[in-house]
Amino acid sequence: MVALNQEETLSLAEKAVTLTLRKGAEAAEAFVYQGLTSTVSIERGQIAKSSRIIDSGLGIRAIVNRTVGFSYTNILRSKSGIEETVLKALSSAKASRPDEDWHDLPAKKPFPSVENTYDNEIVKLHSEDLVKVASAMLNAAEETDKRVFPIEGGVGTSYSSIAVANSNGIEGFDHGTVVECSLATIAQEEGRVTPVCFEFNVERRYDINPEWVGKEAARLAVSALKTKRMKTKNTSVIFTQFALQQLLNFTLINAVKADYVQRDQSAFKDKIGEKVASEKVTIYDDGLLNGGLRTWKFDGEGVPHQRTLIIEKGVLRNLIYDSYTAKKEEKESTGNASRAGYLSTPNVEATNFHFVSGNKSPEELLRDVDEGLLVYYLQGAHSSNPASGEFSVVATPAWKIENGTLAYATKGTMLAGNIFQLLTNISALANNERKIGQLVAPWVLVENVKVVGK
Amino acid sequence: MKDVLAKVVDTAAQKFGAEYVEIRAQKLFKTMLTIKEERVEAAKQGIENGAASRVLVNGAWGFASVGTLDAETLTNAVSDACEMAKAASQRLKTPIKIVEAKAVEDKVLIKPRKDPSEISIDDKLNTTLTMSSTVLHYDDHIKGCTVDYLDSTGTTYFMNNGGTYIEQDELYIWSRILATAKQASVFTFSREEIGSTAGYEIFDVETPEIVGERVAKRSVEQLKAKSPKGGTFPTVLGPNVVGVFVHEAFGHLAEADLTLSGSILSDKLGKKVASDLVTFYDDGTKEGAFGSFKYDAEGVPAQKTLLVKDGVVVGLMHNRETAQKFNAKPTGNARAENFRFEPIIRMRNTFMEPKDYSFEELVEDIKFGYYLKSFRGGQANLNGTFQVGIQEAYEIVNGEIGAPVRNASISGNTLETLLKVDAVGKDFELWPGRCGKGQIAFVCDGGPHTRVEEVLVGGSA
Repeated sequence: MVALNQEETLSLAEKAVTLTLRKGAEAAEAFVYQGLTSTVSIERGQIAKSSRIIDSGLGIRAIVNRTVGFSYTNILRSKSGIEETVLKALSSAKASRPDEDWHDLPAKKPFPSVENTYDNEIVKLHSEDLVKVASAMLNAAEETDKRVFPIEGGVGTSYSSIAVANSNGIEGFDHGTVVECSLATIAQEEGRVTPVCFEFNVERRYDINPEWVGKEAARLAVSALKTKRMKTKNTSVIFTQFALQQLLNFTLINAVKADYVQRDQSAFKDKIGEKVASEKVTIYDDGLLNGGLRTWKFDGEGVPHQRTLIIEKGVLRNLIYDSYTAKKEEKESTGNASRAGYLSTPNVEATNFHFVSGNKSPEELLRDVDEGLLVYYLQGAHSSNPASGEFSVVATPAWKIENGTLAYATKGTMLAGNIFQLLTNISALANNERKIGQLVAPWVLVENVKVVGK
Repeated sequence: MKDVLAKVVDTAAQKFGAEYVEIRAQKLFKTMLTIKEERVEAAKQGIENGAASRVLVNGAWGFASVGTLDAETLTNAVSDACEMAKAASQRLKTPIKIVEAKAVEDKVLIKPRKDPSEISIDDKLNTTLTMSSTVLHYDDHIKGCTVDYLDSTGTTYFMNNGGTYIEQDELYIWSRILATAKQASVFTFSREEIGSTAGYEIFDVETPEIVGERVAKRSVEQLKAKSPKGGTFPTVLGPNVVGVFVHEAFGHLAEADLTLSGSILSDKLGKKVASDLVTFYDDGTKEGAFGSFKYDAEGVPAQKTLLVKDGVVVGLMHNRETAQKFNAKPTGNARAENFRFEPIIRMRNTFMEPKDYSFEELVEDIKFGYYLKSFRGGQANLNGTFQVGIQEAYEIVNGEIGAPVRNASISGNTLETLLKVDAVGKDFELWPGRCGKGQIAFVCDGGPHTRVEEVLVGGSA
């Protein structure tokens, strides 16, 4: 298990704050992260590896004369190590430059309660248990079709705890669990190789379905074996959650961050109250989502998580803020300060970016398309233009839709367009919501997307 | 440190009968800066000490990582790794073996001309703030600039049960500059990275003013650019784009773990896959380059590895496990980002060898095509489908460089594209970057200007 319990973690954070103030800071904040990850890995068709990573550390922000200094350490047992970290945070602040927009660390507010974010069953799992889950997944894939080769995957559990304390009296502790299984496969036949096909299942409680993951990863690969090129044209496209997440990650999600808007790097500047998407689209940033992958009681600065309406029936309602960007506009933080464990200062980031589902099943959504494309994954989405939203990506694997059914897998197909234009062309959302990273969404049908083929 | 590691290695070998055991320890110190416009977001300093042990028991791997160098915790971690390896070995079909490697005892000291750990935060802030202000004052259309800076210095320690013990200094300097420009509803975006294992003297060559202007100019010029036509065209790739192509579209497929996973190269060793003009290397020995080091994370010396010679695949990048499978020698490509990660096969400095064309000769015969000068990102799939996004491109019209083009990207099949390389330049550039494969590795890639007979260019809407 991790080294420090709740009391010890909070006490470490509070002591670090007190010491930073005593050494000369005007304001101080300490963040303690502890994580334990256990994994059993599949490599090239067999379970071949098991690993455990234990990582914990302390990050301190010291504020002197409107300058912010930060220092971190992963040596938590030595008193002199902590003092050295405090002094480094102060020396960083003193070497830095004052920021006129700096006001204060956030003030203390009551924390909400969250549901289904911790499960003791996950903490109790051993390597042997994970090996059983991985075997079930692997067997399911291999039994589906002989042409399938499971290239990599695995089963992992993680436990993490966070604690934050600051000189305004914030003191918070929370912990959570995650369990995940995933499998990447290819199928091979007569010298042909499919693109990598991937499925996974991730939950905060011990409630995953490894057999489904194995079967799906195999089924996808087999159905991607025989490919045809399609012609260049504008057509309907159904994006699965994987493809949607890849498209939105660097574009829409950045566009609603107050940091990007204030720095004139967002297409949503001065667009609050305006229509930015089709009326089918309603999005919340929900840091309290039941069982959400990014659900915690509070954010990286100790500000309570909340549910923020971002887009309501196509109209932009709110942005997401941390306390620095909020104070710049004399607003309240929306609890969107995110940290990379103990290694970084807070940054504005989405929690659970939740597209409200429609009421059609995915089969019904498919049936409504006379001609189009079903896109599972995209390649190169990270090379889109994050500010303008322009993208030009490869859709692979993807399947041509004809008369409401999947006709064939496509090859060498690119999609080009603008993500913000695409949002206004969403014509329907299915009801098959799932969690992928920060995105919670169903399949989405978009009209009039440019598909570049032959 | 040596005594502590020896005790840990001994525990795994004696008590658990591990076939192989290695332990890597690190003591690192980092400085990080983020500048947004002319505001210093935070000056950050940190200590990261930790160790990772990896063992082979009953033919399966066990790996345990802990953020401490305390002898007792390390002994517990290696025991843990052995127990986990045993658990994982239950369903093993083919036990894992590793190839023999020569025992090495060495101490690698880095003596930089300008040691970043001896340069004050104030100096580092001046450098990064100058980059940012150069960008911001270049033109009224520039709206934003973000500069990130990182330096990492310290020592890594490696021991295995084959008699190898290495102490190796580590030094990395990295910076990334992002500029955005806007005119009416047109946004443009430009990125540049600096990276070195030599020392802070990199900023004497890539001065804040030179880099700042390069990034800003590109962002502003792109405002006037037009969208490319979609379709296949003859193209000339700049060294920066050739680099990302060699790395993403070919290099990953030649990482032996991915070759074994069924990459399109899996049955191509010894076969011709590219035009005669194509020769690729992955070289860990280029002095001061961002992807260079003396020993890899398995204690194997880095080397210059020939991957493709005159169009024929002649080598792959190996660790000790894949070298055993291929009956090859390990190439020193096993790398781990830090103690939290296990070593996996990664590229180092990957490039195409220059030939004899001048830039003018490459361009002169093209009636209409594209000159792709600088990339934004790239990705490839095991089946050889690649995509490279372009941040700076121009039309080629009647043998001359024409109007700028924005948001272009190219895609296709790697091997089909390599066969269409029909002329290779005599110049050469190497560019630093970071590569993600579940963990980050610092790398370089590059080559000469290169002409491809035709490639699919994806246009914007």
